[in-house]
Amino acid sequence: MREIAKKPINVKSQMPWVEKYRPKSMKEMALPSAKVEGHRVNLAEELTDFIRSFFKEIKIINDENKKIRAYNRTVSEKEQKEEINLPPEKAAILLEGPPGIGKTSIVYALAHDLNMDVVETNASDTRTKDALEKKLKETVKSRGIMDFMTESKQKLILIDEVDGIYGTKDRGAVPTIVDLIGHTQFPIILCSNEYKQSLQNLYKNIRRFEVHPLPEEEVFKIAQNILKHENISSLTKEDLDLIIKKNMGDLRGVINDLQGISQGSVNMDTKELIMNLHRDNTEEIFTLIRDLFQKVNTLEEARSLTDKSDVDYNFLYKWVNENLPTFLNVNEDIANAYENLSLADEIFGRIRKNQEWSLLPYFYDLFAGGVALSRKRSPPTKGFRRVVFPRYITSGSYSVTGSEKSMIDKINLKYEISQIEAIQDFLPFLRILCTSSRKQLKTVSDWLDLDAKEKKSLK
Amino acid sequence: MTETIPIWRIKYIPTILEEICGRQDIIKNLKEIIKKRNFPHLLFVGSEGIGKTTIARLFAKEFLGRYFAANYKLIYADEPLTEEERNLAKSESYVSTSKIGSIAGKRITTPAFIKVKVKPFVQLKVLGDAPFKILIVKNFEVLGANQQGFRRLMEIYGNNCRMILITTKVSGIIEPIASRCQLFLISQVDFQSFRELILNISQKESLQIDDSVIEVLYNLSEGKISRAIDLLQLCSLNGKNIDLDNLFQNSQKFRIDIVRSLLLLTLNGDFPKARELARKIISNYKYSASELFKLLLEELIKLPLSKYARSKLINLVADADFRALDGMDSDIQISALLSKFCLFSENL
Repeated sequence: MREIAKKPINVKSQMPWVEKYRPKSMKEMALPSAKVEGHRVNLAEELTDFIRSFFKEIKIINDENKKIRAYNRTVSEKEQKEEINLPPEKAAILLEGPPGIGKTSIVYALAHDLNMDVVETNASDTRTKDALEKKLKETVKSRGIMDFMTESKQKLILIDEVDGIYGTKDRGAVPTIVDLIGHTQFPIILCSNEYKQSLQNLYKNIRRFEVHPLPEEEVFKIAQNILKHENISSLTKEDLDLIIKKNMGDLRGVINDLQGISQGSVNMDTKELIMNLHRDNTEEIFTLIRDLFQKVNTLEEARSLTDKSDVDYNFLYKWVNENLPTFLNVNEDIANAYENLSLADEIFGRIRKNQEWSLLPYFYDLFAGGVALSRKRSPPTKGFRRVVFPRYITSGSYSVTGSEKSMIDKINLKYEISQIEAIQDFLPFLRILCTSSRKQLKTVSDWLDLDAKEKKSLK
Repeated sequence: MTETIPIWRIKYIPTILEEICGRQDIIKNLKEIIKKRNFPHLLFVGSEGIGKTTIARLFAKEFLGRYFAANYKLIYADEPLTEEERNLAKSESYVSTSKIGSIAGKRITTPAFIKVKVKPFVQLKVLGDAPFKILIVKNFEVLGANQQGFRRLMEIYGNNCRMILITTKVSGIIEPIASRCQLFLISQVDFQSFRELILNISQKESLQIDDSVIEVLYNLSEGKISRAIDLLQLCSLNGKNIDLDNLFQNSQKFRIDIVRSLLLLTLNGDFPKARELARKIISNYKYSASELFKLLLEELIKLPLSKYARSKLINLVADADFRALDGMDSDIQISALLSKFCLFSENL
């Protein structure tokens, strides 16, 4: 995405709107509210202060260190003093909040306002020790000749998607970043979606800003602005509300949805279009499911796929269940896959009920590898397949909807019947009866004194 | 009655014991009891939907006469408690510290069902000139171990309130309860009485129906009179003359037939469609996975299959039901069963 943003202006029409409408300066953006240790703070002020004080302090420290170095040259090795470092809470801060609320944007806008360059690393980069060092440490430590010449352009280091550090690929990344914070010559801002136990060492010493999603009215204003800009009038206010509700404060999600809808097929029902849209974080699952069914050939590969994934396994195996028939179409393969998946489900249940955590490895291997590798005769399905959300969430206990409940109450005035009997026996009959003709529907609903909503549920 | 009731099963619901279709011996017994003004706790046993509750209610109504409304209550053991009722049960289980005794300040656990639904009724005194109150508990076997709570209730409050317990499975009733009750086996309605009833309704609704059609209707409805009347009403929408085609066409719409078509879909090896239908059944009828498995099992027994195939398929249903007990996502277990059926059908 960011690659595209750097291209010249004339490709602007093809740019993702998220980049096109990314605010340039903090003045033009809707600032999300933030909290530090439970106290509400002004994010723009805090960030500007942080950068300013950083450069003030680092200058003092550098001068001190210069003196120390000069002193060290004059004395024997034993008497040498150690160079001093900036305390970590002054060198780096962490922005923590749900995706798409403007964490990255605010860093770029801040850099723009203070005339700085952003050096960014995110989850798309490999973040092993070596790679990180290569990319960052040069920037951070270099006090080369160029720095004096271009002193007006300072640098700001953005380590985005910190919580995306996982698995074996990013081994050593956390100590590297900790080390980096200790020796940096430039301010560092880390962004993260959620608190992760494994990153405790990192979080220990730095200030944590909890960034909150924008209020819905704010999102609504921005979305309306964009629609005006793009000359789109086909979306009603209700549609827009639906999109905003669905994204739960994720502004990026809203903008992506808007672009998706405006460029999608026109004849489709707008509502359906909105419901069919998917978000960045689910995109990861989509790819994962496709890879699992179409690319994985060995258990090893299946394992590394689930290992790497950030998706909660609670949900992942439901995704596998939902999409299994899309990718497998020989009955033998389906049955073999389900043999493994159903056993995985049983094991998972036992783990949850009896805390039999020793069974967990089987669970992983069965629902991922066990399913993907159950293809016996047929080759993997080729080409693009649509991955869908797990539609069917079973709660285990039965529940009645509001209109069903009120209808049963009304029926009970005339005909004594229990809820369960009503739902399993009487209501299905009423539905069949009422769909037969409008007249029937009218007489029945008049007799039971049903309101419009209840009437509709009978159709 | 001036208004006409648009739903026949309600329109033709019996209003006095004599109107009950068939089962004259039982009705005679109950009439005797009403004359004697006394009876022990009763236990009604019979298969689903044949009219146990209707009989019990009419009996209570005639027994209590004009004090019926004040002294009668019908509760469903399988109906989940509402949030309010559960909270009520919780708050009442706390014994105040101002009370004397070892349980002061502690929580006592009586089953919430008995606490909020049964006790308040049985503890209240009889109103009017009735010998005692009557409490009907439907689907009593669902209470399981909570039936124990009824033992003492039946003795302590027995003088004040008689109970009629209704169940489809006598094996689900614990021994101490069964021994405290007089057992009534409610049989399915016999064909002759059924025929009279249907002819009677047909006459009132001016329908034409043959004996042969009535016989099929009798078999299709499996002794459930309300279902037979439902079917009859649906058929009447297509014309006044009820014939076999009409009957079969409408019976397709009923749930048990949906389960049958689900089974047939799997035996044709069409997994995606079968899963679609299974989900529809679950969401429309609010069955639990276990209930769906039981319905499948019932249908399996009726299908013309080889001995080997039948036992193999039953084995698969049992396995799925077993796994669903521990599993977290019953949709997976249902899908798994359907997929195995589909595979099995290929080798049939």
